[in-house]
Amino acid sequence: MNAAGRWIGQLSGMALRLLPTLPYARPAPEDSAAPVVEARELGASARPGSPAAFSGVSFTVRRGTRVALTGPNGSGKSTLLRVLAGLAPATRGEIAVLGARPRTGRPKVAFLSQRPDFTAPFPMSLRRLVRTGTYAHHGWFEECHHGDEAVDRALAMMGLSELAERQVHTLSGGQLQRALLARAAVQGAELLLLDEPYAALDDASRSLVDAHLFSPDAAFTVLMATHETTGLPRFNQVLELGRDGLSVRDGKEAHGG
Amino acid sequence: MADFLLQPLSEDFFLRALAGVLLAGSACACLGVYVVLRRMAFVSTALTHSILPGVVAAVMLGVSPYLGALGAALLTAGGAAWLASRREVSEDSAIGVMLSVMLAAGVALMMQTGAWRDFGGLLFGSVVSIGPEDLAAIGATSVVLLLSLRALHKELELASFDPEYAALLGARPALLRAALLVLVALGAVSCVRLLGALLTTALLVMPAATGVLLGRSVAGAMGWAVACAAGGGAAGLLLSYHVDASVPSGAGIVLGCAVPYLAARLIVRRA
Repeated sequence: MNAAGRWIGQLSGMALRLLPTLPYARPAPEDSAAPVVEARELGASARPGSPAAFSGVSFTVRRGTRVALTGPNGSGKSTLLRVLAGLAPATRGEIAVLGARPRTGRPKVAFLSQRPDFTAPFPMSLRRLVRTGTYAHHGWFEECHHGDEAVDRALAMMGLSELAERQVHTLSGGQLQRALLARAAVQGAELLLLDEPYAALDDASRSLVDAHLFSPDAAFTVLMATHETTGLPRFNQVLELGRDGLSVRDGKEAHGG
Repeated sequence: MADFLLQPLSEDFFLRALAGVLLAGSACACLGVYVVLRRMAFVSTALTHSILPGVVAAVMLGVSPYLGALGAALLTAGGAAWLASRREVSEDSAIGVMLSVMLAAGVALMMQTGAWRDFGGLLFGSVVSIGPEDLAAIGATSVVLLLSLRALHKELELASFDPEYAALLGARPALLRAALLVLVALGAVSCVRLLGALLTTALLVMPAATGVLLGRSVAGAMGWAVACAAGGGAAGLLLSYHVDASVPSGAGIVLGCAVPYLAARLIVRRA
């Protein structure tokens, strides 16, 4: 059956090559000198029509920094990350991500939502899930034909090599979280927007994730929503969302205060 | 034993029926994998049932019943999408409304024509009476379906598994869903002569549900689904050929596809 499948795949692949390839991403002028995120008097609501989750928020995230986004439940952390990812609209203020207005279809921006739910049976292996990260560099109608090495590297980095052929719905929450970080690495994102990435992790998973996110030679920028307090000195900057807007502090100060 | 297979294979009408079932069955089995994985069984049932008024109207107007069926299925999909575009209306109830309206319209139209010639064939299909032009229509629809699924495979797979990530990459999950509904309408059209308005949904759901139980990738599930549709369809045709009038061919095909599903359900133990 596998041989038949390969044969059908090759035959239909020839037909596929007749179609033009359209990239998902629309090219945007990106300014490499600009800050990664620049927000002025930003406001947004969690759903269209509902009251503002936050408003009047201004901050800057510099290239290559690690920034924590803290605040109580319902203070708008998730909404802010979704706005930066281009998944939700800003209702007021100005916002630039990598020098351009946020929108979807930008391979350089990765977003991990708070509780990814892949528990329903779906015939997909962990390797295939990580591989979807390469789609950012493919287009419509194009076969996925490169990125195998990047997938293997990312799996090894997150300690998932042995689980590569496991079905996604059989993974634990921590394994899934690591898989999604591996996918973001394969995607080659310059800005990682992470919504409470430590929520489902045990100590072993956590140290793997930390080693990746806080690696001194990593070229990306991290903005993560988090509830933790003891780990804050690791961050260059802490943005605290509260009722009266946003306060910006240095990571080390935040720990002391 | 040889006669059991060779005798039907020597008859033209049986060969045409077999070719039709294999073509439409394979296309619907692959498409059905997405229907099953995205829990769209209800909307696909609605689309296939709602071809009834389209076919009746087409016959009354003297145009191709395939066009009528396609128009009616697209009308149902569009109508349900429009009804559900208000946040107060759930998609589920919008589909339920469209399904009931279209079925009722179909019954009303059938009564208008007085004595409808082939009531049973319209509702349950009459696979043994398909002619060469039917086979051409079924073949063309099936090939369009399979090529579309191949061209959009990686996008449909990702948008079904993780719509948020698909949106993030710019792969337009809402557009893909609409495309999938159009493909389901095409699938319904490819089966209308084989299984009729009421049984077509079986070819979209049963082989695919078997494939999803057995496959470890979307492509693998499609392979199993095609095997199940082809095996079940051929067995069903043979059954109705040999026991003749007591098992209509449409019912035979559906029952034939149910056997591998039950077997897979009993064998597979999920981790």
